[in-house]
Amino acid sequence: MTAPLVEIRELGFHYPDGTPALDGVSLAVARGERVAVLGPTGSGKSTLLQHLNGLLRPTAGGVWIEGVTVDAGPGLSDIRRKVGLVFQDPNDQLFLPTLMEDVAFGPLNDGVGPVDAAARATAMLRELGLDGVGARAAHHLSGGERRLAALATVLVSRPVVLALDEPTGDLDARGRMRLVDLLRARGETLLVATHDLTLARALCGRGVVLYGGRVVADRELGALLADRALLERYGLESPSGE
Amino acid sequence: MSFHHLDQFATVPSPVTAMPPVARLVGATSVAVGAATLPLGAWPAAAALGALVAAMTLLARVPVPLLLRRMSGPLAFVLLASAGLLVFVPGDPVLDLGWVAVTRPGVERFGFVLARAVVALSAAVLLVTTTEFPDLLDALRRLRLPRVVTTALSLAYRLLYLLMEELERLLRAARSRNAGAGAASRRRLAAGVAAAVLQRAFARAERTHRAMLARGYQGELATLTEWRWRAWMVAALATLLGLVLVTAVLARG
Repeated sequence: MTAPLVEIRELGFHYPDGTPALDGVSLAVARGERVAVLGPTGSGKSTLLQHLNGLLRPTAGGVWIEGVTVDAGPGLSDIRRKVGLVFQDPNDQLFLPTLMEDVAFGPLNDGVGPVDAAARATAMLRELGLDGVGARAAHHLSGGERRLAALATVLVSRPVVLALDEPTGDLDARGRMRLVDLLRARGETLLVATHDLTLARALCGRGVVLYGGRVVADRELGALLADRALLERYGLESPSGE
Repeated sequence: MSFHHLDQFATVPSPVTAMPPVARLVGATSVAVGAATLPLGAWPAAAALGALVAAMTLLARVPVPLLLRRMSGPLAFVLLASAGLLVFVPGDPVLDLGWVAVTRPGVERFGFVLARAVVALSAAVLLVTTTEFPDLLDALRRLRLPRVVTTALSLAYRLLYLLMEELERLLRAARSRNAGAGAASRRRLAAGVAAAVLQRAFARAERTHRAMLARGYQGELATLTEWRWRAWMVAALATLLGLVLVTAVLARG
């Protein structure tokens, strides 16, 4: 049996003010698996994702990517290249004067030269249908374009794990479908933190429910979504159309 | 509220915009510093530098009224700060205002300070009107401005737009609840909104820093831009610097 790509064991985390956010979370994700991390606001979804590439340090337990511990050691930059984290608000991720610079930011930090970084950024923008907007600043883009641009800034580093935090927050139905098609066509292992169960159903095969910082359910997504009592108990709404 | 138009002439093809941004920055700075350091009364030198900026403005195809309009804000500060010269410089009175008199040397000094400011400001405004901010930043980096400064400017540029958006949202929300009717209420609203924007700016900065770390940021902001120098560009910059230098030397001679 092969080791999981992402392994989380007994993960606990308290914010500096003492607020508990995660408590004994354990999860193993196989290569190529697409997992929806579900739960209401404040359940710990974003906090969990930020542990995957060492932005937050656990107060208990740990996280392993391809068997390597996520900690402050010399392997952290490699972990951050392997785990692409797309933040909830794309504006947090688009901080440079032009989109091209934003997309090239990751490769440049990985030591790729300016010419190759620009070529990779151009190719990435083209792949996501954003060709022609590279010279523009993020404030000149629509909400949907910003969302795709934020994704481009991460995909360009060729991550093996893609962690998306509420990726459909500001997307309309067409934008959501476009995102789903795009992610389905790619091979990265996926962790999607969301309370959008329609998105989860369209994209993922497995669902994990977080509530109060603890895993309260982990099963095949279809079975999970069919369990109305469970959804209701943990403040989740059935997917649209049901 | 928008300032998207600030560098609208940066994409207009002209000999000025064809120059590498670093050449534009060095040229504009030399004219501005040359003008600001002219000795009092060096009117021909001030006129020569002014003519140089006017020629550049025409070459860059920037409308003069636009340039003047953009200068008006900072110029108002100069006027305010130097108005005292009119009455505090001792000399023959030319206008008696009752309790105070405007003096001839005061008028001369005030006029010259104003002339220097007009030339220096027009050079600076021409630079930002014809150069996109990312290019300006790149020029600053190439001139070896400390990384911490260029990084801060780079992030501030983007953050400024985000904060303006936040500000607009907050003001709209407040107005939708009839806030800001009456002077006292407007002052309270302004203070409240300013505090909220500041608080959000800190939160945004924290999140952005995390997003940078997540993509491998280790304290150095690498850049993509590469400009090619051509012989005519070197010659043009050298000529400009030479003219400024000759003017400055003649003004002191």
